[in-house]
Amino acid sequence: MDDAHDKGQRPNLRVVAGGASPASGQAAGDRAADEALLAAFLVGDDDAFGELVRRYERLVVSIVRRYTRTPEDARDLAQRTFLRAFVAARRTLGRDPQGAFPFRRWLVRVAVNLAKNHLRNELRFDRAGASLRALGPAEAPPVGADQLLRAERAARLRAEVLRLPRRQREVLTLRIDAELPFAEIAEVLGITENAAKVTFHHGSRRLREALGREETP
Amino acid sequence: MTCRDHDVLLSLRAAGALDAAESVRVEAHLAGCAACRAEADALAAALGLARLPPVSDAERRVLGELPERTLAALRRSSRRRSLGKRFAAVFAAAAAAAALVLAPAVLRKDPGAPAGEAEVAWEAPDLDGIWNDTAVIDLESSVAAGEDEADAVLAALDN
Repeated sequence: MDDAHDKGQRPNLRVVAGGASPASGQAAGDRAADEALLAAFLVGDDDAFGELVRRYERLVVSIVRRYTRTPEDARDLAQRTFLRAFVAARRTLGRDPQGAFPFRRWLVRVAVNLAKNHLRNELRFDRAGASLRALGPAEAPPVGADQLLRAERAARLRAEVLRLPRRQREVLTLRIDAELPFAEIAEVLGITENAAKVTFHHGSRRLREALGREETP
Repeated sequence: MTCRDHDVLLSLRAAGALDAAESVRVEAHLAGCAACRAEADALAAALGLARLPPVSDAERRVLGELPERTLAALRRSSRRRSLGKRFAAVFAAAAAAAALVLAPAVLRKDPGAPAGEAEVAWEAPDLDGIWNDTAVIDLESSVAAGEDEADAVLAALDN
């Protein structure tokens, strides 16, 4: 294999449209592009791999960011997500080269699962959940009493997001962090679109109630 | 329609997920219902606070390394996988050779065995059986390598 990549050179990346928030689900063209890149990767084109990572890094990072303490943790969790998805793709397409592999859906599902496991590890030695407030990206330092108060409430509410029941947390974060349409959230989680919307409603109502409790002395 | 009928729609509105027809319906209701307006504001405030801040420059710098690091980890894991397969093949061949050499010595009657013990006649090793066994060893290690591939990839992250 070419050693140039091992020396830290960037893979040659072609620009492909994509991102964290497609209009609705994944367009057929995007899926075909994914499949072409996966096929190229499976026959040894490492640049295709780099391109797939570049194509979906924003989406994956947006999912795992809430669960990590540092940007380095977020990067490592995102890296694990890609590696697991690629291993699954290689195994699936290795068995059936003509088969389809819904890469984006797999990626989101793996990211959600790894984030959940990461959260479980964070909570393993912290039954009270005190460390929840340390998770997620840091805010810019607040200036003034108002900003300080807002930052304090935001930190409490973000910890509340992590305390939501699993399904509510998954749906809510896939919507407000990854900005996925409900149709895609439903597809990823294997539920109906209507169930995803109702679950989102229950999750947001819990957050609203938590905010209400905070504001009531 | 009652306020209760708009429950879910108010949450979806706070998430910016209403379609045009739903939006018209909800806004018409909100125009005449102070309680639902307050609920809609509270939901929007809660989701606003729950959202993460935008990606900072510091995060962007670290996350910019993602494609290269992921590719490097994948290459390390591929090298390990190929080394593992080669090692399994060499091990299988060595095991077959050792079995051929040691089988007669192991199966020969022990001179210190107490008298009266039934004599065991030496039998030539079943070469086909040994060959099949080693083939199974090789096959099993290949399957295990496939199943543990994800773990191997993850282990490569630490290097």
